[in-house]
Amino acid sequence: MFDLLKAVQMFSAAKVDFVVVGGVAIRGHGGSYVTEDLDICYSRTWENLKKIANVLAPLNPRPRGIDDSLPFVFDWTTLQHGTNFTFTTSLGDIDLLGEVKGIGTFDDLLPQSLEIDLNGYQTRILSIPGLIIAKEAAGREKDRVGLQVLYALQEATRDEQ
Amino acid sequence: MKRTPREKLLNPAPGGKIAAARDFGIDLTQLAENLRYTPAERIARNDDAVNSLRQFAEAVRVAKAKQRSDG
Repeated sequence: MFDLLKAVQMFSAAKVDFVVVGGVAIRGHGGSYVTEDLDICYSRTWENLKKIANVLAPLNPRPRGIDDSLPFVFDWTTLQHGTNFTFTTSLGDIDLLGEVKGIGTFDDLLPQSLEIDLNGYQTRILSIPGLIIAKEAAGREKDRVGLQVLYALQEATRDEQ
Repeated sequence: MKRTPREKLLNPAPGGKIAAARDFGIDLTQLAENLRYTPAERIARNDDAVNSLRQFAEAVRVAKAKQRSDG
């Protein structure tokens, strides 16, 4: 069952140091476009990698695009051997990003993020201005629509930010 | 009197970013509607939409397979 809200809540419950970025963050701010993956930027401390692995392990993560017949062992050391990961899991696709273009690492994202309540789970998501910086820096054609949504939401909620 | 975000989206000021988004083709009524919900509800509604779309896609796949086997 696809359930990205539950995935985010699991990361928050495990006290993982992360910031929700990408389409789910835009949805959190009020965006209307449907997204099929959860993108998070995470702290790369060993302790945090272990927490992430503990959250993901029960969700049967596998790298996307890899043949199912190939063996894949997932544990926290898997996360030591790279920075960005694209996993398919039992709750949906989850992408782990060590850096976000235009902003930087988890520590750089923190001042650009805000804490929101997801039914009792305190979770940090990238702010609208932060998402705009990231999308503009990515310079991808597919982000043009998302950017227009963000510009509109920024203007609409300016007095509340 | 200060306008709410929903009011700004539903009646954008000329020359602003909201009006530009509307002219780009963004459905501002959907954004205004989403602002009625909490962040958790907005993400849950995304999940519901994906699950519904997947069910729809599966129904189409089954129908096409049946059509091929019948034909």
